[in-house]
Amino acid sequence: MKRLTRIFGIALTAALLSVGVASAASLGLNSGGLEAGSAAVNGCTSSSLTATRNVSNSGNVTQVNVTGVPQACAGQTLAVTLENSSHTSLGASSVIVGTCTGGCTVTVAGFGTVSAANLTAYALSITQ
Amino acid sequence: MRRLGITRRRLIVAVLVATICSVGAGYAASLGLGSNQLHAWSQTLTKGTCNQTSTTADDTYVQQALPTSTAGGTATTLTISPVAGAQDYAFIRFNLSGCSLPTTAGADSAVLTVRVTTAGSDTISLFPVTSSWSSSTLTWNGVPGLTIGSTATGTFSASTTGAKTVTVTADVDAAIKAGALWGWELRATSGTAIVAIGAAENGTSGNRPSMTLSYEK
Repeated sequence: MKRLTRIFGIALTAALLSVGVASAASLGLNSGGLEAGSAAVNGCTSSSLTATRNVSNSGNVTQVNVTGVPQACAGQTLAVTLENSSHTSLGASSVIVGTCTGGCTVTVAGFGTVSAANLTAYALSITQ
Repeated sequence: MRRLGITRRRLIVAVLVATICSVGAGYAASLGLGSNQLHAWSQTLTKGTCNQTSTTADDTYVQQALPTSTAGGTATTLTISPVAGAQDYAFIRFNLSGCSLPTTAGADSAVLTVRVTTAGSDTISLFPVTSSWSSSTLTWNGVPGLTIGSTATGTFSASTTGAKTVTVTADVDAAIKAGALWGWELRATSGTAIVAIGAAENGTSGNRPSMTLSYEK
């Protein structure tokens, strides 16, 4: 009887542990980073939005402008990472999308000193 | 306790199970993401250069003493004068249409080069022009109708002859996004001398204005 109780306890523990891990895995993401591309989501948009950047006269990025953000994204967090040709982060910043009519242009600033000449890609995400 | 079937062993197992279950849930929460509220994408940029020469340049100078003259449009040098009652302003722009840049593109770096052909102890300042003009029609009287920035993009000293460079990255970046580059007004902001720079029509190619441009799109 004692042995049966022990086995039952171990089995139950293993089963519940699996549920916990499976819950994390169901997010489809590693905690180390987001995947690029247009992932299918149930969020406010599934479109690949367009980003442009402004520069200072010395050639450093002053802000990134993301156009066409749907109104449904208001209140969600738009994060932008500036990457070099090795897809290494040169700087990152985020902002809460505000309310607007139609497609919003969201301005993200605060990347630090990033030379536009080194910028070769934007990685963007919208999360709640 | 025993009457309820709760033994010490069973209690320990129950606590252990609850603890491990919490760890699993905590791991999921540590990702900081809702499972259905994410959109991620990337945008890759293309880099290039599109250097400008006299073939894409348009320039002139306007004369306070001859307020309706368009003679500067065909001159081989552009006069810049701070003399009261006889001021001269030069204008230079480049046609970037050959670069085929969309309005979502931008300048990574842009440097204007002019060559001083007649030196004088003046500081020449470049003010961005953001409205249209043509060297064949612009006159002194037409200048107030232009949209010209009140802050100088850059300056150079005209105290010696030769090439002078001014970084104009921000202006060119804004112009690409606006769809056209209307260039700069060059004006003496200190000094009393009458100086000159080579025009696009100058017989010596090295005296003509040019601009290096590195872009992304």
